[in-house]
Amino acid sequence: MAPRIAHVDDDSDIREAVERILCKDGYEVDSYLTMQDFINSLQDDANRPDLAILDVMVESMDSGLTTYAQIHKRFPQIQTIFLTSLGDMIRPYFEDGSHEWVCIVEKPVEPKSLLAIIHDRLDNTEAALQSA
Amino acid sequence: MAIAEFSWSESKDQAALPGINGIGLKLNDEILISNIRWFIAFRWVLIAALILFEVLVLSASDTLVQFGISEQKDWPIAIIAVLSLANIAYIYALDHCQPCKYNSPSINLWVQIIVDLVCLSVVVHYIGSTSTPISFFYVLHIALACIFFSTRESLYVTILVCVMDTIVILFENFLFTQIPISTLISNHLSAESIQRDGAILWMFFLDILFFVVWYVVSRLSLIVRAHEHRLLDAYKQINQAQTEKDQYAVLMTHQLKSPLDAIRSKINLIKGGYCGEASPGVTDALDKINTRAQSMATLILDLLRLERLKDTCLNTAVLESVDIETTLHNCIEKLIPVANSKQVAIYVSIDNFICKVIPDQLEILLENIITNAITYSYDNSSIEITSEINKSNQSASIIVTDHGIGIENKDLPNIFNEYFYSPRASLHNKASSGIGLSIVRIAAENNKLQIKVVSEPGTGTSFTVIFNNIQLPSDRQEFNRKPLTKVSLS
Repeated sequence: MAPRIAHVDDDSDIREAVERILCKDGYEVDSYLTMQDFINSLQDDANRPDLAILDVMVESMDSGLTTYAQIHKRFPQIQTIFLTSLGDMIRPYFEDGSHEWVCIVEKPVEPKSLLAIIHDRLDNTEAALQSA
Repeated sequence: MAIAEFSWSESKDQAALPGINGIGLKLNDEILISNIRWFIAFRWVLIAALILFEVLVLSASDTLVQFGISEQKDWPIAIIAVLSLANIAYIYALDHCQPCKYNSPSINLWVQIIVDLVCLSVVVHYIGSTSTPISFFYVLHIALACIFFSTRESLYVTILVCVMDTIVILFENFLFTQIPISTLISNHLSAESIQRDGAILWMFFLDILFFVVWYVVSRLSLIVRAHEHRLLDAYKQINQAQTEKDQYAVLMTHQLKSPLDAIRSKINLIKGGYCGEASPGVTDALDKINTRAQSMATLILDLLRLERLKDTCLNTAVLESVDIETTLHNCIEKLIPVANSKQVAIYVSIDNFICKVIPDQLEILLENIITNAITYSYDNSSIEITSEINKSNQSASIIVTDHGIGIENKDLPNIFNEYFYSPRASLHNKASSGIGLSIVRIAAENNKLQIKVVSEPGTGTSFTVIFNNIQLPSDRQEFNRKPLTKVSLS
């Protein structure tokens, strides 16, 4: 079954670009305009993604970060990538800024590097599941 | 139906500024404690002076009598003992007892003032309340009370001083018919000058003086405290404004950069073949659009970075011990894709050391210097990153050397200026924001680092970052210069 990826961004051009790249590579993509839409979708187990790509500033300045905190607590198995215009500049907003578990990708969307990061993250999940 | 009301009245903070209204303006416990320690130290000096005086009296009493100072009885020893014991008790209460209702800095100060006033009254009594100016030492206690207590409390101290001085004068002049038990000034010099009427007048004059001193010093103290509160409040407002400014800068950066990111994402889609085949002409045009958009995006992010660095001094930036090898490794890892795109090889030979810096800023500084080295290198060249440790003065250097276009002699003094623009550099790198070295300068200033630049146009540039007060890691082996190692993407 194709890995399922959720993408949240309020910029329709970015949503479209990510969807095109990931669909072409065989992923199943669910795009959301707001973080709340994404959180609501998680109530249905069938919608639960393997990986979430979150923008940081959507409804508010830190909605991506608060959403991450929520889903990381409730669904630790969902890998998360931040895709943001601010790149590493948002790192100070992570209080205990662990470089290991926070993956920040700076926009624009660059197909090769985005796909490489997603492969890497999903491989990590598989390795973790196998070792468990 | 939703209804929301909005009002934009004047800031409440302005009205909340404390006026010179007196009673509310008390010093906080931290300031009181530091002053309690100062009082205790001052009292030890006084005790030492009294001991010295007593030793002098014992060893050279005949000589002192010639100067009109008569032999004292046991009161100086008693005062020394009381003050010493009291001082020890204050220190014990301050450092070894849990603060509680009955052991607060304020109570500690009150006890000190009362004990000191009692001791001073004894001294005044024995030295002579009306025949010597010793009573003026009471003024010192009133002034200190005005500085460290509220106006009302300092008034209580002033009243206490007046009562004690009055008791001493009455005790000395009305309850005893003869002159004081012992006086510093010999009897034959002062006995005839002591008159009861004079004593009353003296007492009245002193009490008036004490109240005048209280009034003047307490008013001055209130003004100073009101200003201090305003400063504190202003400092809080500045910090708050700083946070809001940073949020605003982040928001603006996001809004400015987002459209560029959308444009560049679409360009990447076309170049990646996601929108069908593009002709070489279109691809070439897209590359140029992308380069210009990238330059603008870099500028936007660099401006935010620069603003954040400039604001560091306003915040209480924490210096941490940073392992230079790890920091450099992180920087190089980030920049390897950029180096690979220009086929620039990075060779590294670092002897590790530990420096006290703001970690994020050191990373920004090194990243910018290495990025510059890569950017201004010729294609297919290399850059070398080495270190030098000077054990004798505990300093170390990180040297980043490139083989690129170099910097012209006339430009070299200006490269760290925020508004410096070099057409030659811009020609080589169109995507540069032009403020990378300003960021380096501010990061260096914030972290007290020195930078030395050596350059030969057409040959290359070498940036040396000099770290002072470094430490060597405990597990460090005695050092043999490591060979230059090429770093590649793992």
